[in-house]
Parts: sequence; structure tokens; C-alpha cells
Amino acid sequence: MRAYTPKDNVQAKAYYTDRFYVSPQVPRHDVSSDEVFAADLETISSKFTVNESYIEVGQMVVYINASDIYGVLELVRDELSYTQLTEMSAIDWLAKDNTFEIFYQMLSMTKRKRIRIKYSIQNGQAVDSVNKLFRSADWSEREMFDMFGIEANNHPFMKRILMPYDWQGHPLLKTYPLQGDEFAAWYEVDKIYGKEARDIIGPEIRDTANIDRYDSERFARLGFEQPKGTKITGDEEPTVQTYQEDGGVFLITKFDKDASKIVDDPQR
Amino acid sequence: MAQIKNRLTPFFENITFDREDNELVLNFGPQHPSAHGQLRLMLHLQQEQIVKAHPDVGYLHRGMEKMAENMIYNEFMPTTDRMDYIASSSNNYGFALAVERLIGLEVPRRAKVIRMMLLEINRLMSHLFWLATTALDIGAMTVFLYAFREREYLMDIIEGYCGARLTHAAIRIGGVPLDIQDDFLHQLRSFLNKLPQNIKDYEDLLDSNRIWLMRMEEVGTVSTEMALSWGCTGPMLRASGVAWDLRKEEPYELYDEVEFNVPWSDKGDNFARYRIYMEEMRESAKILYQTIEMYERCVKDGQTDLMAHAPKYISAPKLDIMTQNYSLMQHFVLVTQGMRPPVGEVYVATESPKGELGFFINSQGGPYPYRLKLRAPSFWHTGILTDLLPGHYIPDVVSIIGTTNIVFGEVDR
Amino acid sequence: MAQHKVNYTQDGGLPVALTSIDKIVNWGRSNSLWALTYGLACCGIEMMASGASRFDFDRFGTIFRASPRQADVMIVAGTLTKKHAEFIKRLYDQMTEPRWVISMGSCANTGGMFNTYATVQGCDRIIPVDLYLPGCAPRPETLQYGVMLLQKKIRANHASKAQKAKRLM
Repeated sequence: MRAYTPKDNVQAKAYYTDRFYVSPQVPRHDVSSDEVFAADLETISSKFTVNESYIEVGQMVVYINASDIYGVLELVRDELSYTQLTEMSAIDWLAKDNTFEIFYQMLSMTKRKRIRIKYSIQNGQAVDSVNKLFRSADWSEREMFDMFGIEANNHPFMKRILMPYDWQGHPLLKTYPLQGDEFAAWYEVDKIYGKEARDIIGPEIRDTANIDRYDSERFARLGFEQPKGTKITGDEEPTVQTYQEDGGVFLITKFDKDASKIVDDPQR
Repeated sequence: MAQIKNRLTPFFENITFDREDNELVLNFGPQHPSAHGQLRLMLHLQQEQIVKAHPDVGYLHRGMEKMAENMIYNEFMPTTDRMDYIASSSNNYGFALAVERLIGLEVPRRAKVIRMMLLEINRLMSHLFWLATTALDIGAMTVFLYAFREREYLMDIIEGYCGARLTHAAIRIGGVPLDIQDDFLHQLRSFLNKLPQNIKDYEDLLDSNRIWLMRMEEVGTVSTEMALSWGCTGPMLRASGVAWDLRKEEPYELYDEVEFNVPWSDKGDNFARYRIYMEEMRESAKILYQTIEMYERCVKDGQTDLMAHAPKYISAPKLDIMTQNYSLMQHFVLVTQGMRPPVGEVYVATESPKGELGFFINSQGGPYPYRLKLRAPSFWHTGILTDLLPGHYIPDVVSIIGTTNIVFGEVDR
Repeated sequence: MAQHKVNYTQDGGLPVALTSIDKIVNWGRSNSLWALTYGLACCGIEMMASGASRFDFDRFGTIFRASPRQADVMIVAGTLTKKHAEFIKRLYDQMTEPRWVISMGSCANTGGMFNTYATVQGCDRIIPVDLYLPGCAPRPETLQYGVMLLQKKIRANHASKAQKAKRLM
């Protein structure tokens, strides 16, 4: 019987984990330990619901409700001087509880502080676009849509950005295999030559250790290259690669190794 | 001769060229010598003026974030090389620093000094390359040849250190793998001594060149609000009136011990960015002189450690692995299974030559990152073209793309 | 009247060289290989470096052209992604015969380290390739050696005979 492989997360797994191994946790500090962050959190929590907050590796993490995101970002931009949306994207937790976690990485240049605003959405739910507040979200949200399939409401151009428009599937989902699905494997062949060319061109060689020793067209027989269709017997003469024919080339001076000057110091 | 049959339909099937409003749609790229890679721009033109620009990226998307989820942390290091392939070590460094912060590692001082040297050499290489390509796009072939000459000297130095010209993988999580080679300092010094004259040569060629000025001054002006809103960082932001350099503001390594200035301008146009690149090269040279002194002090003080001592995460030095049983076992486990950082999240930003290079890592305690987000500065520097290009003329497109200094390994990842 | 005896066919004779059509055409083809500027990724930087001051590609008669219609050899320098695959075919079709393709670097050869959903596993799935250069990224010397080998390959052809078009399928 074949071993069961879970389909909800097809990424690489650790092949061995000690039974007694307990992974440590990155220390999380209380927000009150930092004055600036405490004041910021006060301002946010006075207007919006804050589900959880802590400081991790010098940055404050704030969990809010999904519907509040536009208001919160407007607040931190205008009142708390977090003027830059550095980065935003999603984390796939579909295997765990069918949710995505969205994070917004904010930077304040006057306070020299970074905060991360996070919230969870259910699978299939859309987020509110913050494109009007930060233009950088324009492309980030498109990338998030491309990679996870999470749509943003009120986005002016909700289309794929990194993958082609006619691509199927969202590559960064945990259910999407690293080497692509059936559609991805034949994408370029189908598009350029059509489906009937699949047999002629053949499947992709995804095995990195694959060597066909009789494949003289490619590089398997280095130093013993033979023309295509030659029967390989195993006692071929080695082929010597020289960049010029022995007899010299018409109208070209033959390269003389002894006559050339070798420079010792490159920065002469 | 019959062409090989293919199914590709004419390219602009769905675009109407015959338009009532006299608007022309021009396709630029993805194979264009001035696109600095595989940028595709759809430009809507009224006469020669751009009214709408639509950058299309993703032609170099290779799925690095997906790769990271399927690789142990050390395995991913060479992949980061291929992000901003003009300054590979800064990517290596950004990733190494993010993992170190996640684990909570402190790197030995000598390794820090070597890392700083590599970072600044990479910054010089990147800026020289930027100068060469931008000048070539604008038509200054001589500057291209000059700047590439100097860049080759730096590549020689890097090559002597790590063996590769372009894709270095010269920085490891927890330190650096090797000490610098014998003639590293000598070569670096002789390069740095010549550099001011070289920079002056470029400036003599460009600064008062009428063509250069006409295509640079008052072209591609990015206002402060626009730069902040689009998430611009690095020279793009500094040229728009915000003196923000992560090396100064959030110092990592030993940048708080070296003295350097942050050049900035409030003009925001192409010329301001060009000036900032030139000044940054001078500042990098200043930092490199100081790191040479720091390195020599390290040697004098007898600090020989190059990798942090953390047996749970970092392999022991080679000598220990070869002589001690436990180190060998630990090394074997770390190579085959990989290190397992603690559960948690970290976002670390470093100042790469292009801007803020950030790594967001979500670790669930396994040997593979659960989620790794690469925050590449060029991504937003490409996005800003949407708002920046309208109003400009066709020739300005090339010079604006040039000065935004975008690299497509980084944009598309 | 002085009697001159000139051996026209030897050195020191008149500046005339006798040769065959084959040789002169192959000489022309192999020594003015104009390459398409097709830097896709990292290898493109090394391709630029081989065109720049230290490595000086012009010695080989190799000049980079931006238009496929003027180019003889396409140097696929970098990762070919599935999104871009369509364009490599278009560009290849636009090049005039005779045309050659050099696949530069691991990514163009086999997909290299990018064994992912987005990367074409070798550009020979799309277009026929004459020469594969190993390396990630290959040094400029490798590219120049590759071009020398390609020149040798071109000289082995019979220019007077019709060339059989290279076909992928």
C-alpha cells in the first residue's frame, strides 16, 4: 500500500523529528516594555479592537479585525507617523484552520520604529484594499492575489502580476507543489506548439540527478560527443575541442601562446 | 524556407490600434536593451507624450519564495544570490541577518568586519554597474567602458575571496566561511587609492555634458509624498528629500562605529539620483578605508573566530569537525536535516545598494521556513513607473528606468 | 623592359588571395557573429562584461545588436521562465537564417537550480540550441570560448549548399 501523503500541505517536510524535540519560541515581550509602542497601541486600541499585541524581535505585532484594516492604517499613517507601508503579504494557514493571515509591515521614519499589523481572513474572503492610502499596496495586493488568490476589494486593477494572465492556480498556496501541477508542466509547450506537440517534445526532466549516458546530443558524454543517431559502443575516440582548426583558418592569424604576454597584477 | 509552425497568435490581438482619440499604444520590452532586464511597459502615447504607463513584470519570476519553503535555511543561501545579482553579497547578508535575529545569534567581530567589507565592495560594484548601464542607455559609451574596467578590479578581489565573480554566496548564517586572502587588503587599498580619480573622470565626462544634463535634469521628478507612498527606499528616497539610510538609522554590524555621510537631495529628479550614486561611491570608499583599519586591529588583537559558536544551529569549525566526534555528528545533523530555528516571526531590513532589502521569515520550528517573504526594493521602484512616466516623453522613459536602478531578479524573484 | 615574374598566389605577390566560395562565406559568417542582446538574468551581466572593456568581445567581430532581425546568434543568457517562453520563440522566428543559438548558463540549459513551477526546464524545449555553456554564471572566458567553438562549427559547414533548417520537431 502506498504511504498516505497529506494533500493540504505538499511542501517539503522534515524527514525526521525527535520525539522529545520541543522547539523553542522567539521571546515575546509585553508592549508596555517599550514606551513608544505602548503609546501607539493605546491610540490604536482606543478606536479599534485589538485582539492581541506583543513585541517580537524589536517590532510590535498588533492583531486587529479584518474589517478595520483601512481605518487602522489611516490612523497609524496620519496620527502615528507610520508613513511607509514596507511590505504586505499573506501566510497560508489553510491546512490548520482554513484561514489566511495577512500582515502589513509599517515603518515610521521619525520614530525609527516598525510595527506589523495582522489579521486573519477565512478562505475565499476578500480583503479591503489600502491602495488609496499607500500606493505601494497597489502592486503588493496584486502579488498577493497572484500568489494566494486573495482578492482585494476596491482595487483598480486586480489582475495577476508575476504569473501570466492565463495561468491556473496560485503558486504560494501550500497545496501547490513546488514543481508545478499538470498545467504548469505543459504551459509553454501548449501555448507555443499546441497539445499535440507534447509527445514530441516530451515531459520536463525534473530529476536533478538525471543523466542519460546515451544522450549524446546533450552533455552526458563530455569529451566523447557523438553525432545524433550514432550507435554508442563504448570505445569511441575522445573528441578534442579546440577553438581553431589545426591547419589554421583562412585570413585569421593563428594564436600563438608563447607570443602572448601574461599580466601578473590585474590592477597594473 | 518554411517556418516551424507554432500557435502563437499575433501579439496585440486585443488592442485596438485604430483609436478615435489619436492615442497610440506602444509596447516596450520584454526584450529591450534599455529595459535593464525583462521589463515590459505598455505605453499609451499622445504624440510623443506618455499619458498612461502600465509596467508588466514577472518575466523573471522563478518562484524563490516557494523554493525557500522547500529548502533548509543554509540551502537557500545560494538562491538569494540570484535576486539582486549585481550585488549578491548584500542579499546573502540580508538573509543571514534575518535568520541570526530569529535565532538570536551574535557574530564574531572579525566576521562582522569582513561582512562589512564585502557589503561595501558590493555597493561599489552595483553603483559602478548602474553608472555603466545608465550611461550606455543615454549614449555615453565611454563611461560604460570605464566603469566596467573598475568593476572588474572589484570582481577580482571578490573572486579571490569566494571564487565566484557574480554569485558569491560569500556570507553564511552565523558569520563568514573564510578569512580574507593574503593580498585582499593590498588590492583593495590600491583600488581605493585610484577610485577618487576614477569617479572624477566619470564626473568630468558627465557632469557638464549637455546631452547628459538635458536628459537628467528636471526629468523623472519624484516628490517626497510619492516616494513615501510608493514605498521607495535607498537612493530613490534620498533623492526625494528624505535622508533615510538604514545603515545610520537602524545600524547593523559595525556601521555605528564607522563614519560616513548620507548624501541626499530635495530635487527628486534623475540628476539628483545620479549625484547620490556618485557620492555614495565616495562614502563607500570612506567606509572601506575604515574597515581595513578595523580588520587590522582585529588581527592585532588576535580575534580569529569567523563563525558564531552555537552548536545547535551552526556547524563547528572544520578542524573540530575533523577531529572531534560530537562536532562531526552535529555537522552531519545540520547538513542533512538542517537547523531548526525557534518558532516565531522576524522582519529584518538592510540597506542594499538599491534600497531596503527585507526578509520576513515565519518559522514554525521546522527545518524549512513556513513562509519567507522577500521585500525587494526594485519591486516598488518599478511600480512607481505607473505614476512617474505619464507626462514624460518617450526618450525620458529610458533615462528614468535607468536611474530607478531596477534589477529584475529582485523585482520578480 | 624588365621582366617581372609574379607568383600571384603566394605571399608577396599581388594582394590577391585565391579561395573558394565556401571559405570566404564561412569566414564572413564566423567572424562577424552579431549577437542579440538577450540578457535575461545574471548571465546577462556576464554577457555584458564580456562585451565590455576587459574581455572585449569586439575582437571576435561579435557586436551586440538589439534587434533580432540584425542578429545571427542568440545568446540565451539567463533563466527562461514560462511567462517569457513565448517571446523567445517570437524572437527566434524573427532572426534571419542562418541563425545559431547559444544556451548560456545552467538555467538556460536545464533550468538549473530553479527547479520550480515557473521555470522552463531548458530553453531547448522551445528552440533548437547549438551550444550549451555550463556554469552559474559562466565566466566571460567561457562565453568567448563558446563563441570560438561556434565559429569552428560554422566553418565546418558548406556555405554553397543549402542549409538544412534546424528544427526542434
